[in-house]
Amino acid sequence: MELFEMTAASLSEKLRSRECSAVEITRSVLEQIGKTEERIGSFVTVCEEQALAKAEEVDRKIAAGEELSPLAGIPVGVKDNICTSGILTTCSSKMLYNFVPPYDATVVNKLKQADAVIIGKCNMDEFAMGSSCETSYFKKTKNPWNPAYVPGGSSGGSASCVSAGEAVLALGSDTGGSIRLPASYCGVVGLKPTYGSVSRYGLVAFASSLDQIGPLGRSVEDVANLYEIICGNDPMDATSAVREYGAFGKKINRSVKGLRIGIPKEYFGDGVEPEIKTAVMESVDKLAKEGAQTVSISLPSTDYALSAYYIISSAEASSNLARFDGVKYGYRTKDYTNLIDMYEKTRSEGFGDEVKRRIMLGTFVLSSGFYDAYYKRAKQMQQKIAQEYAQAFSQCDVILTPTAPTTAFQIGERTDDPLKMYAADICTVTVNIAGLPAISVPCGIAANGLPIGLQMIGPKFSEQMLFDTAGCFESLCGGFGVAPSVKA
Amino acid sequence: MQIDIQHIAKLSRLSIEKEKVEKFQKEMENIVAMCEKLPPMGGGYTAVDPTNPMRLRQDEIRPSLKRDQLLQNAPQTQAGCVVVPKVVE
Amino acid sequence: MNYEMTIGLEVHAELNTATKIYCGCKNAFGAEVNSNCCPICTGMPGTLPTLNEKVVEYAVKMGHALHCKINPVSKQDRKNYFYPDLPKAYQISQFDIPLCENGYLDVMVDEQGHTKRIGVTRIHIEEDAGKLLHDESFAGSLVDFNRCGVPLIEIVSEPDMHSSAEAKAYLETIKSILQYIDISDCKMQEGSIRCDINVSVCRPGEPMGTRCEMKNVNTFSGAVRAIEYEANRQIEILEAGGEIYQETRRWDDAKGQNFLLRSKEDSHDYRYFPEPDLLTIVIDEEKIQRLKDELPELPNQKMKRYMDSYGLPYFDANLLTENPGKAEFFENCVARKACKTKNISNWLLGDVSRILNEKNLVLADTSLTPEKLTDMISLIEKGTISVTAGKTVLEEIIFSDKTPDQVVKEKGLAQISDTGALLAIVQSVLEANPKSIADYKGGKTNVIGFLIGQCMRQSKGQGNPSVLKELIEKQIQQKD
Repeated sequence: MELFEMTAASLSEKLRSRECSAVEITRSVLEQIGKTEERIGSFVTVCEEQALAKAEEVDRKIAAGEELSPLAGIPVGVKDNICTSGILTTCSSKMLYNFVPPYDATVVNKLKQADAVIIGKCNMDEFAMGSSCETSYFKKTKNPWNPAYVPGGSSGGSASCVSAGEAVLALGSDTGGSIRLPASYCGVVGLKPTYGSVSRYGLVAFASSLDQIGPLGRSVEDVANLYEIICGNDPMDATSAVREYGAFGKKINRSVKGLRIGIPKEYFGDGVEPEIKTAVMESVDKLAKEGAQTVSISLPSTDYALSAYYIISSAEASSNLARFDGVKYGYRTKDYTNLIDMYEKTRSEGFGDEVKRRIMLGTFVLSSGFYDAYYKRAKQMQQKIAQEYAQAFSQCDVILTPTAPTTAFQIGERTDDPLKMYAADICTVTVNIAGLPAISVPCGIAANGLPIGLQMIGPKFSEQMLFDTAGCFESLCGGFGVAPSVKA
Repeated sequence: MQIDIQHIAKLSRLSIEKEKVEKFQKEMENIVAMCEKLPPMGGGYTAVDPTNPMRLRQDEIRPSLKRDQLLQNAPQTQAGCVVVPKVVE
Repeated sequence: MNYEMTIGLEVHAELNTATKIYCGCKNAFGAEVNSNCCPICTGMPGTLPTLNEKVVEYAVKMGHALHCKINPVSKQDRKNYFYPDLPKAYQISQFDIPLCENGYLDVMVDEQGHTKRIGVTRIHIEEDAGKLLHDESFAGSLVDFNRCGVPLIEIVSEPDMHSSAEAKAYLETIKSILQYIDISDCKMQEGSIRCDINVSVCRPGEPMGTRCEMKNVNTFSGAVRAIEYEANRQIEILEAGGEIYQETRRWDDAKGQNFLLRSKEDSHDYRYFPEPDLLTIVIDEEKIQRLKDELPELPNQKMKRYMDSYGLPYFDANLLTENPGKAEFFENCVARKACKTKNISNWLLGDVSRILNEKNLVLADTSLTPEKLTDMISLIEKGTISVTAGKTVLEEIIFSDKTPDQVVKEKGLAQISDTGALLAIVQSVLEANPKSIADYKGGKTNVIGFLIGQCMRQSKGQGNPSVLKELIEKQIQQKD
């Protein structure tokens, strides 16, 4: 097995026992990028120089016998909507094609303090709006399992780089499923943390009340270790929860004995492909054999979740993206006659169609005369959905569902029908609406040869329980890895 | 629901090319139709949550950014300021 | 035809906190362009606001001072509009749940100290925008973001005022309260208080007319002019059989006119919605009470006390309590019990104010102390120096460390009251002015003033005028 294929946990072990150096790990990953990137297209920017410099620094620390974090020397991809000081941060938009932030996101600071190696900035749907990574201004990322298929979105590059061995771990962001969906499509593990557990400072906002940064990796332990590094209260983010977090990775207890697994019937309806239902139910059976109990539950408002999600997220997006006006940073149109003309041309040329659709939807639902019928109703529905989850968690400890109703679809297949594209998020959006944590783990391969994802949803701040459950499942599966096409 | 796409575009400071108006109009109407599935719900809605109060910041000065860093991404600058087309209002 | 005007005011006051409302940048006026800025207050992608605790406290204090109900639970909202001085393209403000609501302010409306109660609808917190600079040599506008994020409170009144004088009294009282509780510098020339004015007119007994709003009035005298202008404009339209349309107008103080900014149809659709980057503001009852207990005596209370216990007229009490610095100085003077209270007031509001106004200074900028001022006044009261000499003493002691005694000695200002010493002067003046004596005898007794003046000149200002007067009268009578 090549270094680029290994988990962070085993690489960290090798670093400590001096079986390999951090520079060797980073070189192995960079070489893999050299081999696969043209075909996959995970990155907007590859940070070769900075990455090697950081790896050398880690090697010096090892030589000096310094205490190392579990992520020291581990190459990590960072979604391109997370600000990196001195490194291009584009949100995969023409609007920010040249934007170099003079500051780091809090999570990037934490990565640097943990001596992680930032290997590159991952491609994504423009401003995180999309489910396929096809709305990027720069390139369409391909699914490492089959390049004719999308990697999912919006954190498509984050999932594909981990799946392709172009990074060991990655950070994504999840507003309606943007970590879990690509994790599911690319056969990797992805966690959407509890809202407020990871600082959003430096994450270019899509929908502030729903956005959350989270880790993607090829093992539950790696994801838990990365989560441990990035979580925690941040005084720079007023919505960040004030609480203490323990160690997650080391504490994983791969047992589900006595665990009550809730199965919500609404997530196994007609829209979900039969082989996905089968794969998920077989996974539930495996866990039941390990001592878990299953409980039938109901989340009756699930049908309304997508509507509520698109109203709330678009409303916030219309306001969050108003600052992109050609005045302070990013793209400015070439020819304009006055201020309004500059605004309109800059924004019309700088944003892609999907972003425009969402901005206009958000503007519409907030506009005078429509607020009560749309935004207010969606916020009421949000409260109802959260209450239904709270009710469900009185009957069970964890809820298992498919991560997506289908496996990855073909590139171009859904670009002409926004509603069809939106349907990919049907299983994931309620989690963001309720602010809950959820993890997606691979649970099988469909007939088309593409991975299927299993979603585990827990109550707020139950990440440890999710790691325990996902860890148990992972052991039963014999572990996950890079996509077959890139295996050394 | 008939959407006045030009009005919404204007409010959003977007201009939609003539040939795309119809496409956007139709897509928006479909999306809005999906959103209209939300049932009217009884009871009020308050956006406050007193059980989750906000921590406030102490009134202590932190260093500002150097001006050249502040303006490094600006498309046009002059005399330490960002330049925009002449504003009349 | 008679018309009644109705006025409502929205006052924006910049708070004098150390830092801005949502970031740790320095809150200061007059810095070099774009030097008090960071990624947060310039709306860079990914940045987030954090609310300054002091801003909440200051707003609550103002709420108490204006007898408002303080909302222990409130929130912030985004007001969305595009403008180059607003880098996020939304202003964080408060929409439906402001920090303070339903208060009032009693404003003195006549010299007998009668008050009128003006309702205060609400007080909310919000961020200020940047500044656009217009460079003649250049085709564009320049944006200075320094003022972005400077904390503001907006105080919204009920439409309870019916004359420009009432509006002015309201504004002045608000300003003096802000200074008393020390939450705003209130420097008009720096734009730290600004107001928007709503004006409507109607015939007495009829329902309120359609209102027009005037934006960005920066001085109180400008507010008076703007109100008068707008009321007249509306009356002229109505008299000509026209109709008033609800619109926003811009007051141009230099031209003394207002201009249409936008009609109701063009009014902004601000698309307010709850600010998702901030959580609920919760203030516990104990803190609300503590902030109330911290309030000092407010100007209206003080003014009433000056009238009641010092027996000062409204004119004096009103001016002395205008700002806390002046009132404190006055009270320290009174506490020395060295001279008459009314004389202290006369000097403070007379010559001291004149000197300060000429030089555009406040008391704190000078070397004048309550000790020095009352010592000087007491020298006059005791007859040691004349009132004229007192003015000379004041000019000296206000900008130096000298005491009144020192100045009197150095300049030889002490009055001569000794009749023996003054008699020779009186006699020589009378000899030189036989015509004046004749006039006096002929009934023109007011020539005595001229004669006293001549004696004062000869005595180099040191003669005691009342002693001189007595001597002159006696001498003329003796000449009979």
